[in-house]
Amino acid sequence: MSAGTQVHANLTEEQVREISDGLDEPDWLLETRLEALAALEDLEMPDVIRTPGRDWTNLHELDFESLVDPLNAAENKDQVGPEDAEVLPWSEAVADHEDLLQEHFGSIVDPQENYLTALSTALFSTGTVIYVPEGVDAEDVTVRTEQNSRSLFNYTLVITEESSSVTILERQSTGEEAAEQYYSGVVEVAAGENSYVQYGSLQNLSEDAYNFTVKRGVADTYATIDWIEGNLGTQLTKTEVSTTLSGDSSETQIVGAFYGHNDQHFDLDAKVWHRAEHTTADLVTRGITDDVARSVYEGVQDVGADAWDTSSYQRENTLMLSDESEADASPKLIINNHDTEASHSATVGQIDAEDLFYMTSRGVDPRSARNMLVEGFFVPVLEEIDVDELRDDLEELIGTRLRERE
Amino acid sequence: MSSDQDHLQETDTEARFEFKKEENAAVKSDKGLTEEIIRMISEDKDEPDWMLERRLRALEQYQNMPMPSGWPGMPDLSELDVEEIIPYIRPDVDKREGVDDWTELPDEIKDTFDKLGIPEAEKNALSGVGAQYESEVVYQNMQEQWEEKGVIFCNMDKAVQEHPELVKEHFMTTCVPPSDNKFAALHGAVWSGGSFVYVPEGVTVEMPVQAYFRMNSEGMGQFEHTLIIAEEGSEVHYIEGCSAPKYGTHNLHSGGVEVFVGEDAHVQYSTVQNWSKNTFNLNTKRAICEANGTMEWVSGSMGSKATMLYPCTILKGRGSTDTHITIAFAGEGQDIDTGAKVYHNAPDTSSTIESKSISKDGGRTNYRGLVHIADGAENSSTAVECDALMFDNESTSDTMPYMEIEESKVDVAHEATVGKIGDEDIFYLQSRGLDDDDAKKMIVAGFIEPITEELPIEYAVELNRLIELEMEGSLG
Repeated sequence: MSAGTQVHANLTEEQVREISDGLDEPDWLLETRLEALAALEDLEMPDVIRTPGRDWTNLHELDFESLVDPLNAAENKDQVGPEDAEVLPWSEAVADHEDLLQEHFGSIVDPQENYLTALSTALFSTGTVIYVPEGVDAEDVTVRTEQNSRSLFNYTLVITEESSSVTILERQSTGEEAAEQYYSGVVEVAAGENSYVQYGSLQNLSEDAYNFTVKRGVADTYATIDWIEGNLGTQLTKTEVSTTLSGDSSETQIVGAFYGHNDQHFDLDAKVWHRAEHTTADLVTRGITDDVARSVYEGVQDVGADAWDTSSYQRENTLMLSDESEADASPKLIINNHDTEASHSATVGQIDAEDLFYMTSRGVDPRSARNMLVEGFFVPVLEEIDVDELRDDLEELIGTRLRERE
Repeated sequence: MSSDQDHLQETDTEARFEFKKEENAAVKSDKGLTEEIIRMISEDKDEPDWMLERRLRALEQYQNMPMPSGWPGMPDLSELDVEEIIPYIRPDVDKREGVDDWTELPDEIKDTFDKLGIPEAEKNALSGVGAQYESEVVYQNMQEQWEEKGVIFCNMDKAVQEHPELVKEHFMTTCVPPSDNKFAALHGAVWSGGSFVYVPEGVTVEMPVQAYFRMNSEGMGQFEHTLIIAEEGSEVHYIEGCSAPKYGTHNLHSGGVEVFVGEDAHVQYSTVQNWSKNTFNLNTKRAICEANGTMEWVSGSMGSKATMLYPCTILKGRGSTDTHITIAFAGEGQDIDTGAKVYHNAPDTSSTIESKSISKDGGRTNYRGLVHIADGAENSSTAVECDALMFDNESTSDTMPYMEIEESKVDVAHEATVGKIGDEDIFYLQSRGLDDDDAKKMIVAGFIEPITEELPIEYAVELNRLIELEMEGSLG
């Protein structure tokens, strides 16, 4: 479908200028926004998987015109971190670190990559810049966003200098319950040489909300970027988490957990681009579909011709708790260098009847047995999370949702 | 059959030359395929009206359908000018019935067979040299034995004449309708030749049904149609002899294969494909499996410039089973995009897909698979396993599985691995006195064994030899 159908009649340059003025942004940034706005007309929706007779996710049905309300954005935000790292709200970052922004903004996620990235670039009104200087180990950076408006566009930039490290926990939730909301987030991570980033995210927006997120990182030599991606909220989520391993011996791990129930639809991408020598990637996603929920998973491991001595692994497992739910998966391997050890696997199934029988025969009632097995199913994913708070929250949310279940 | 050909040669010369003129005119006027040409083909074959009507409908569908596009990593078809297909509907008249003599074959083909070490008689059959005569002798006896049991095995054009009811019911109706994809539609319009196999209820055809002979049977083998109907409780193994490289002038192969597997029936369909390296191989192959039926696809894809082929099984009846075993080898300039499609549309169905690929010297292999488990297909299971072996960093090996799971009581697993030939394995073999090349060949032979062990010995030998020759880089 042509993106032309999505153009907003009611989005104007004046609105974009007003947002940019309000944040006291320099001209180049305003220009970037205006160019993104102008490009909307020609841009397509993000790619979704197509198989004979169907698109796995339909983004064209969303009525962006009515969902997007750029001048009335409102949120509650916590942006906190240790003293030796800088965790800056967007307006402060604009004032203090224009050079950093100029270098990195839009360098990892192209503002004009697709319709939704351009919309986000043109209209974002809130954001966080996390800057970790050389040699600093920064723990417990927390960015919490509570959305209190019809639409919210959020931008996050993480820059780690040489031999630094940081753990970041980001959470999105909905405050005042509005009927339908749209949350859009762009995250760029530039991991300097030998630095370490763990970026954990817990999306628990209202189940009336729509969500589009791109999180992308570039890892320099010896750098590591680890992503934790928890998805529980929204009625429709389209999200991508990806790492480009551009420096020799860089590494990445993408760990995902999702739990879809009712009529939720999660379209989750995990992608890694091996572009240097001796790089390693490990992608692990586990999730549940219940009721009439649907999960769509695309995993890509792309090994470039120059990526000698690559190791790349991917696993995706979905547990279906209901017959009416659907779990679609496409784990892709694209290998251009033979000096590679790569594997991927995906499984879909239901709770193992034997396990259930074993537990019930030991006196556990069937419902508790089922809940224990589901909680156990997530353990391999939970184990990978460095930040205790994120792990505990995720575990609790899964447990709560499970116990709500009849 | 030979008298048919004589008849054709004697009486249809004028029609054929006229046809040729039409063809050239069409190219000049840039119209592509025309109704006139389709009518000409049908008339030339003396077909009944219903078949002509199907061709014309397929033509219309072809003209209204877009080329495949937007597939991630799909082979480059830009050099395939569909408008230019016209000359290839009919290879030039001289070669229409195959060449008369071994010496008239293109050097590339002769050379290949010499290197394969295939005996002269077999070479003749493989290359289509007087194939009808040579092979008829060979296969006639077998045919008689089958006929006694009610088995029908003949070429497709003949089946249209002699078994219209069966063909009418099954030909491009429910299994591969022309609307399936652009090349299925093209096939439906210009199809010619191919095999028809009918196995009555309860009959087991012990010997594999081999279709070497059809390569040149009507001279238009690149659009051949294969229709296999296996009635309840029957069993048959069909082997497609695509092992003969085609003449250099052919640049598009767009065949159609339809298999009807009755209740409790068992069909194995094996292909060893080695098209010349300027051929676009865009086939549609599909089976429909009734309750407790079993379909097995075994294929080795060696040749072609680009292949897009995803044999498909629709598991329609409860308890039906599908097995895919495929191997692809892509050398320099080749893009072999192949895989499997399985639709689990009934409870208690199962499928296994085993795919192996080897890429070398800049070749690309891709496994593209779709497993669909429909809501209600309880207790179904599928296991997909893909292994890729790569020789160098010029080559590419991709794996793109798609899994659509609408039913919870299932067991779905996909696994894929990619790796280079193990240095340790080579070192081990070298330390036992093998040179580097032999060590690699031996490892590859071991790698493809799951395929070769499914094939009758002569095909297995041939596949092994073809791969060895590819590895030496000495094959056309």
